[in-house]
Amino acid sequence: MVPERRSVAVPTWSSSLKVLLRADTTAQLRTSLSLVLAFALPLILLVATGLGKNSAVLGGPAFRISLALTVGLVSIGTVGYSLAIARDRDTGVFQRLRVTPAPTWTIMVSRWIVQLGAVLVMAIVVLVVGALFVGVTLPPQDYLFTVLVALLGSAVFLSIGQAIVGLIASADTLNAAGRLLYVPLIGLSLFGDTDRLGTTVELVSRWSPGGCLETLLSAAMGATAWSGQSWGALFASFGYTVVFAVIGIRWFQWGAR
Amino acid sequence: MAAATARACCGYTLRVNGVTSEAPPLTGLALQVKDLHVSYGPKRAVDGVSLDINEGEIFGLLGPNGAGKTSTLSAIEGLLKPTSGSILIRQVDVRAHPGLAKALIGVQLQSTSFQSELKISEIVKLYAGLYGVPLTKPAIFDRLTEIHLGDEASRRFSQLSGGQQKRLSLLIATVHDPPLVLLDEPTSGLDPQARRQLWDRIERFRKEGRSILLTTHSMEEAQAVCDRVAIMDHGKILTVGTPAALIAAHRDDPQVRQAAHGEVTLEDVFIALTGRELRD
Repeated sequence: MVPERRSVAVPTWSSSLKVLLRADTTAQLRTSLSLVLAFALPLILLVATGLGKNSAVLGGPAFRISLALTVGLVSIGTVGYSLAIARDRDTGVFQRLRVTPAPTWTIMVSRWIVQLGAVLVMAIVVLVVGALFVGVTLPPQDYLFTVLVALLGSAVFLSIGQAIVGLIASADTLNAAGRLLYVPLIGLSLFGDTDRLGTTVELVSRWSPGGCLETLLSAAMGATAWSGQSWGALFASFGYTVVFAVIGIRWFQWGAR
Repeated sequence: MAAATARACCGYTLRVNGVTSEAPPLTGLALQVKDLHVSYGPKRAVDGVSLDINEGEIFGLLGPNGAGKTSTLSAIEGLLKPTSGSILIRQVDVRAHPGLAKALIGVQLQSTSFQSELKISEIVKLYAGLYGVPLTKPAIFDRLTEIHLGDEASRRFSQLSGGQQKRLSLLIATVHDPPLVLLDEPTSGLDPQARRQLWDRIERFRKEGRSILLTTHSMEEAQAVCDRVAIMDHGKILTVGTPAALIAAHRDDPQVRQAAHGEVTLEDVFIALTGRELRD
């Protein structure tokens, strides 16, 4: 039998990425839970940490903003991202995408870009709320610097999310693990500038992913001067990103095991 | 001009990175699988499978659970890396040119799901885009209407019935008009009406000149729609032929006679070749 005349196209990677980005952005905007996690939690924290007589113990306004940003980054980058990836893996969404001519890497890069976009919006919202209700206003260059640090922090926490989803096969287990991770990732960032729990905890806290981010955000917002410790935090953040990304990509499975 | 030449000689053209070129010459074979091996650790899922599918042919791959049907399909689809062997789709090597090979096939996976947040019309738009087929909103609606899902365009995939989900999956598998369609148990879980409708669609694909490779547990389906079938077990092809030829060839086997309740059917041949024990 003579086949009917037809045309078969292999799209470019850029057109595949564009199509995926449009779909992933739509999906992200329709996920109410992820939007709540991304925006409500940091904002609630920003306001709540300013309440009460002893709120100053935790730190000044800049610290409250950086804490809110850290919570937002963990929510979006580590918990939200890894849960969404695990769910789509379990239901076979990725396998369906992988049988199209789109290069496989575009599937994941599209997800990362959407997460970075969500972080960007979250960071801007937190900074605006910080300026309007917490009284933290910064020079324009510090706002830009803070947003850039937030994007770097997003890379760190996304790579942690990638590592988790690479190492944990089941979406249910990952759900539980993701919630548990809030404690070390955010908790540790609280004690990088205080030795109330001892110098060892302070040291571990300061050089944890959250602690490094705190250091960088503090410098970006002008609360502390850019110092050798800031450079150390910057390099450590790059190191965390590379190590966790390698783990996450090396062991990632596209289909449910 | 090149495109016109390609159309004239081969029946289809290729557009890679926006450049139209002449398609590989037709050999009469839509798919050639040679000595395919797929292993999961020490377990051999596919053990030396070879099969050819002709242009315009509907080919059925039959076998009990765990026989290696889905692994064979997954290797052809590029989801699994074979341990050894070669796969050519219209002369295009799947491993050497994965993007081009994937553009030449339409795939309906055994259990397909799409992004739960997207509407059905958005899902069609997404996959059409990934296959380089720009579809306008009216065009998407027309395609959905063709499969009786025009009124469901704003619903989510999970809100569709099993039959509707299968129809949508099939629409997406063929949204780019591929010459070869791979269907993994396309009618599992469907009621008789939906199954018959799907058979009609498969038959229509053949009339449009497509080749189809499908896996199924239904011998009735294999006899109804397939030109040829292969029965496989333990990762190997046990026999290949038209359903009628297989029945004729094995009619007098003692094991087939024992399995048969009256007239010998394809299912009797299947049971005789693959055994009666339950598979996981």
